Amino acid sequence: MFGVRRMRPSVNRPPTPDVQENQEKEPTLQETINIKLIESGEKERLMELLRERLVECGWKDEMKAICRAFIKKKGRNNVTVDDLVHVITPKGRASVPDSIKAELLQRIRKFLVSAAL
Amino acid sequence: MSSRNPSYTNPKPCKHLEDYKLRHGLSGYKSIQRHLKATPHGRTSVEMLNTGVPRCNSCNGFQGRLYLCLICNSVSCLDHTLLHTQSEDGHDLAVDIERAELYCCVCCDQVYDPDFDKVVMSKHNMGVPRDDKHGDESIGERLVKRRRLGLGVAEELVDLKKSKQLVSMRDRRDKSCYPLGLRGLNNLGSTCFMNSVLQALLHAPPFRNYFLSEGHNHEACRRRSGDRLCLSCDIDVVFSAVFSGDRAPYSPAHFLYSWWQHSANLASYEQQDAHEFFISVLDGIHEKEDKSRNRNRDSGDCQCIAHRVFSGLLRSDVTCMTCGSTSTTYDPCVDISVDLDTSNFSPTDTVNKRSKPNENSSISTLLGCLDLFTRQEKLGPEQKLFCETCQEMRDSVKQMSIRRLPLVLCLHIKRFEHSPVRKMWRKIDRYLQFPFSLDMTPYLSSSIVRNRFGNRIFSVEGDESDINTDFEIFAVVSHSGTLESGHYVTFLRLRNRWYKCDDAWITEVDEEIVRASQCYMMFYVQKMLYQKADEDLSSLPLSPRRDAYLPIASC
Repeated sequence: MFGVRRMRPSVNRPPTPDVQENQEKEPTLQETINIKLIESGEKERLMELLRERLVECGWKDEMKAICRAFIKKKGRNNVTVDDLVHVITPKGRASVPDSIKAELLQRIRKFLVSAAL
Repeated sequence: MSSRNPSYTNPKPCKHLEDYKLRHGLSGYKSIQRHLKATPHGRTSVEMLNTGVPRCNSCNGFQGRLYLCLICNSVSCLDHTLLHTQSEDGHDLAVDIERAELYCCVCCDQVYDPDFDKVVMSKHNMGVPRDDKHGDESIGERLVKRRRLGLGVAEELVDLKKSKQLVSMRDRRDKSCYPLGLRGLNNLGSTCFMNSVLQALLHAPPFRNYFLSEGHNHEACRRRSGDRLCLSCDIDVVFSAVFSGDRAPYSPAHFLYSWWQHSANLASYEQQDAHEFFISVLDGIHEKEDKSRNRNRDSGDCQCIAHRVFSGLLRSDVTCMTCGSTSTTYDPCVDISVDLDTSNFSPTDTVNKRSKPNENSSISTLLGCLDLFTRQEKLGPEQKLFCETCQEMRDSVKQMSIRRLPLVLCLHIKRFEHSPVRKMWRKIDRYLQFPFSLDMTPYLSSSIVRNRFGNRIFSVEGDESDINTDFEIFAVVSHSGTLESGHYVTFLRLRNRWYKCDDAWITEVDEEIVRASQCYMMFYVQKMLYQKADEDLSSLPLSPRRDAYLPIASC
């Protein structure tokens, strides 16, 4: 009897999490960069810069126009914010000017160099 | 009560939000209040953890929108938020973490609650408005270095041939059937700047009504003040002459002489700027009023006719980009000077390069100019301002808005630019698209301040639902020519017809002519006053184009 080790269930053991895989993997490079950006506050600055550029080049106005057209078609009371997000996300992503992408990439690169990742 | 644009009214709460409020009241909102973080750009976000990245409780995801359940404070991505509301009864309301906005998980839509926004707005340092009296200085004087636009001979019209045709057609009609108060003003030697502004003043409904109804009494005026110089008395004389029914061109010589006395620095036969003249006339009217009135009435608004008609209040907000605190000042103004809205996008970045061009980007519009006037303007590094909260010189953002609209809104279009290369000023001849009916709601302080903070419902100083924001245009002062040599004319809109007042010559013109002109000063009046003025004129017989011509016995 004495030689056998039995694992007794502990009442304090946390419930099994829904998805186990993510917690055991190493964070991806993308995740690591994202975390670093957020923790340093750089992400917020980049977001503000991006907002400014997208307004300047008329991108925001174009998205507004697409939303308005969609709302007009569907009727004001039949549209949710989620619908609008779904409608403009692909168009929005595709229509970001290359110069803005380049500028932000450059900023992120500069940040990574300085954060010595 | 004017019919309001429905997009300016607050959205109603959904059933689930109402249920939530009944059950939980404000406790949920208050509990996240200390986790709210405000940025100097007017944005708010929720920070539940002290450090690190917010993640979904269920899948550990961190991308896309994350929602904080208001009942159990669990954080979920969108998919798991919707699952959460299905598994947990009553957990319908959540807060978008990045944006601090309410979300109803059952309606799958954003919802709005003034109580929630109040909690959010409490995090933004709105600043205390300082009552800064800058006197009656027009905003135009401080913002722009005004140049003189003079008179000349050459008159530029877009379609010269066509317009000449139209003008000659109109000439054949009997002028005595024109509306009352249309009378040419003789040019007394480079005085088109004066004639053009006078025509606009003569037909500004509240201004006109005041003088025509004996608002300014000569005898009382002379008795009250010893000196004979009174611009109001002289304007009164001009009103009487112009509205007398006599159609022969009138020479406002006495008025010119009086104005010279008042603005000695501008007294000459040289070319003058119409806007400068306008300001000095209002100033002259005010000064005389100020002298004769009881000086003790320092508080409250000036009651002189110039200010009663033209005076509005501008609000200027300066926000520190480091701490977000805003300092607000109010300045009275008698007009608004706006820069021409020219699209200055760099060719590589512009949206227009793509298949669907933005139709408005290549034309200047009056609304565009007003947008420009009320946009958030980043003050450059040399313009750092002292922030009371930070106690340091900081980068700042400035934004103008209109706190109180006047009865008559004069918009001055700054049609000149400085060329640093040539080291001189030159006139900008650019077509400006403008509406005949103008709704000033988006430029009010309440709208501008509200927009600064995104989708929030909260009240701003000056938020009255019954203020009049609808305006109708009644006069346009246009300039043709260059900075050194040019000519002013005024287009008047009476009973929905346009009349061109070119010194001594009054002719009816089509609206295309007005639109094609280089408008320099645009005069809008509150819609109700415009309609009333229309009624006053309607009692007179119309031109033969419409009805049978009736001779006017007395005007």
